[in-house]
Amino acid sequence: MKEYRVVGKGLPRIDGPEKATGKALFTVDVFLPGMLYGRILRSPYGMARIKNIDTNKALSLPGVKAIITGRDVSDVRYAFVDTPRYPADEQPLAVDKVRYIGDEVAAVVAVSEAIAEEALSLIQVEYEILPAVYTPEEAMKPGAPLIHEEHREGVSAWEEWGVAQKSSADQNNEINIPNVSSRSTVSFGNVEQGFLEADYVREDRFETAATAHCAMEPHAAVASYDPYSGKLDLWLSTMGIFLKRYVLSKALQLPISKVRVRHSYCGGAFGGKIDVFPYEFCAAYLSMKLGKPVKFELDREEVFTTTRQRHPIVINIKTGVKKDGTIVAQDIKVIADNGGYRGSGAVVVFLCHGFSFPIYTVPHYRYEGLAVYTNNPIRGPQRGHGAPQIRFAIDSQLDQISRDLGLDPIKVLLKNVRHQGDILPNGDRLNSCGLTAGIEGAAKAVQWQEKRIQFAGACDSHIKRGVGISLCAMFSGAMYYPFASAAMVKLHDDGSATLFTGAQEIGQGCYTTLAQVLAEELGIEYDDVRVVGGDTELCPIDLGSFLSGGAMITGNAVKLAAADAKAQLFSVAAEILGVQPSTLSCSNKQIFVIKDPSKTVSYAAAIQGSIYRRNGNPIIGIGSYKGNPETDRYPSLAKAKGLFTSAYGFATQAAEVEVDTLTGEVTLVKAVTFHDCGFALNKTIVEGQVQACMSMGQGQALSEEIVLEKGQVLNPSFLNYRLPISLDTPEVIDKLVETLEPNGPFGAKEVGEGAVAGMLAAVANAICDATGVRIHEMPIRAEKLLAALEEKEKAKKSS
Amino acid sequence: MKKIINTVINGKEYELALEQNRTLLEVLREELGFTETKKGCDQGECGACTVLLDGKPVSSCLVLGVNIEGKKVMTIEALATDGRLHPLQEAFINQGAIQCGFCTPGMLLVANALLNNNPHPTQVEIKEAIAGNICRCTGYVKIIEAIETVAQETKTC
Repeated sequence: MKEYRVVGKGLPRIDGPEKATGKALFTVDVFLPGMLYGRILRSPYGMARIKNIDTNKALSLPGVKAIITGRDVSDVRYAFVDTPRYPADEQPLAVDKVRYIGDEVAAVVAVSEAIAEEALSLIQVEYEILPAVYTPEEAMKPGAPLIHEEHREGVSAWEEWGVAQKSSADQNNEINIPNVSSRSTVSFGNVEQGFLEADYVREDRFETAATAHCAMEPHAAVASYDPYSGKLDLWLSTMGIFLKRYVLSKALQLPISKVRVRHSYCGGAFGGKIDVFPYEFCAAYLSMKLGKPVKFELDREEVFTTTRQRHPIVINIKTGVKKDGTIVAQDIKVIADNGGYRGSGAVVVFLCHGFSFPIYTVPHYRYEGLAVYTNNPIRGPQRGHGAPQIRFAIDSQLDQISRDLGLDPIKVLLKNVRHQGDILPNGDRLNSCGLTAGIEGAAKAVQWQEKRIQFAGACDSHIKRGVGISLCAMFSGAMYYPFASAAMVKLHDDGSATLFTGAQEIGQGCYTTLAQVLAEELGIEYDDVRVVGGDTELCPIDLGSFLSGGAMITGNAVKLAAADAKAQLFSVAAEILGVQPSTLSCSNKQIFVIKDPSKTVSYAAAIQGSIYRRNGNPIIGIGSYKGNPETDRYPSLAKAKGLFTSAYGFATQAAEVEVDTLTGEVTLVKAVTFHDCGFALNKTIVEGQVQACMSMGQGQALSEEIVLEKGQVLNPSFLNYRLPISLDTPEVIDKLVETLEPNGPFGAKEVGEGAVAGMLAAVANAICDATGVRIHEMPIRAEKLLAALEEKEKAKKSS
Repeated sequence: MKKIINTVINGKEYELALEQNRTLLEVLREELGFTETKKGCDQGECGACTVLLDGKPVSSCLVLGVNIEGKKVMTIEALATDGRLHPLQEAFINQGAIQCGFCTPGMLLVANALLNNNPHPTQVEIKEAIAGNICRCTGYVKIIEAIETVAQETKTC
């Protein structure tokens, strides 16, 4: 593999010193002179009609500056998905109906947070409680109470971006079931015929829990409106500044150029900070109303309850295989609970297909995904977005099928996985695919053969051990507003450069890896690069840090911008040296004539030369990149037609667990990931991403669950929501499978999301390997496993 | 009613007039401008707001400001001295133990307190020391490794 000067090295983060000293500015750290503080009144009911809101008493509390309710902003609608088929269904404050416990009802701004909080208790809301539904099954029953009945007027965001209005042909995809918010259907081959050809058919039902993102920085927004210039400055704890700017400018009816999202670091996101939230709108709206800076910071309970969760999903799978384990047919039905609003329901039921089909070759396939309204908290994107749920189901079942047929699961995986060069049914081409190498590597790392023999032999102890494996895939960027990324490289007189990128640093290290791409391509050192990012006024458009497109899409834009700057530099150097640019090369920031290296000019001299010779022209390189440039904008969520992404990242994950059969307690002893990210732009950062995904996957497999009772979150705190802590850290083996993706910058593609997904089935399969018990629901907490073990014992005795 | 208290923060003496219900975290962030100390949960459950009180790590959201009378407070500000990063900060940066950076100040102060009291901790002791500090970004592996490195380095000299 080619060695580069800068990319590929595990260089220290560019933002390391700022963060290690605590100086890095997060949105919660923004305090402006004269700033006011906001709090939000939330619904205590799952579903209720708002009959009246009396704010007089609250308004008369000294220090309260303004209160708004849904009536003040009743014409505003927005949502993560806002298409002709799925028009936006969220409003910043409930107008006449609340739809989940935590739904926003009123916003107060006061001189202190404590006064704002006190004012909330003085607002009198008269509710008429309505029947509510808390499971998709209840919600889809004929005659179930309808959560959304309203008809929406207006033009959806996607229509503004050029998407055609809903045609009559689209009606075919709609079904007459109450509360279904979204539906995706796909089929290829002939699934019924496929099952007839199969030697063995198995049907299973799997279920996953709602989980929380747990970003350490709570959600916050600071808005500062200047009435004289009409400009609104925003600091948002977010993953995508351009999407937020678009949605908020539309909601606030401000020209897009009058809204500026300013730079702040984001203290973790994991998918939970891309939706536009009511507190963000309210901060902006109230700052505009009062002409003063306004800050909203959610408390931890609000973060757990009202800022999105991972979709709990029920997955029914029927799979038919040949005797040797070759898959011939698969029929998948997915029902996702998207809560009181659609959130990303339409996306997750599309993505459950999107992350199902790139892994195995399945000749006959049918998929139906439904997202359903309930009166639970809203669900949105969370690291992997559908992948953990669908991979858990598919790979648990495939493992079980292997066991049923007496086959080695590793061999079954190898028989069915896709390979480089495969073309997926939607037309996506796998230009790189490290699945086979990953399976072989992970099996070796977890000592698959040896351990399976060793563990199967040890049957006396109540401590059982087992190993399991699973696979996953993730897009490297997908088509979503603003559909592409651009980058600007500004050169300085001393031969150094500044990168301007709209990418948002959320911890994933994009400033660092993008600086490496720039330095490599331009021929300067990593230390010569500074990054200006995360500001809509200063930086060119960027897809944002939420579709795993950072390395691939923004990385390519930066590479092109650096190449542009370099070409300009060579052109000036050629002029200075009196030769053609094509005769030049460079090293150590010196440009020289290839045939006569004594003829040389430094980068600094060439940059200065450009200013002297070219009428003050500084050198600024520009680059832009769009994934799937041949497609217009997007795939169809409902029909899954169109290209999804220009490269898939793949991971193979294995787990070794220890189960105490007396308590049901599971310890993850060893976790292995072989990640095919094409090429690691920064080894340390890639390892960090993979380890983080594994930890999140471990939590989702064994402990993490939002506990709900009639729509009420019962565990909205770190004490009661059990995410992994340092003591849970297993032995970790993370290796890269470098396949050099031809579309990626230096061969790089996705790394930040996929490797959550394989952990779930890897752990579940390892538990099954250890105990013979198959658990179909995530997470596998001790009480669940113990009950299953007891069940198994009972069945054994009675037989 | 405000109460006057005398305290030492990062080696500097302060005389402060504090509302009695303000937490140390609020005093640090909102009154003194030490926003380097992060507010993660305000419930004593995440460790982001950790400071050292007379050398011991505490969640500053669980300490009332008026209770620091006569005590010494150290925030992340004081870990780097004379413009030079502390070896723990260097190790965290060089070994990828920092991602979003929000838990980092608290994590570093806990690690610092650990190594001050126990310069050569075992891996288990390190894991136990940081068990009250949640990091969602790293999966802890690189944080543990970074602390181990610093402990190793001091061993050799």
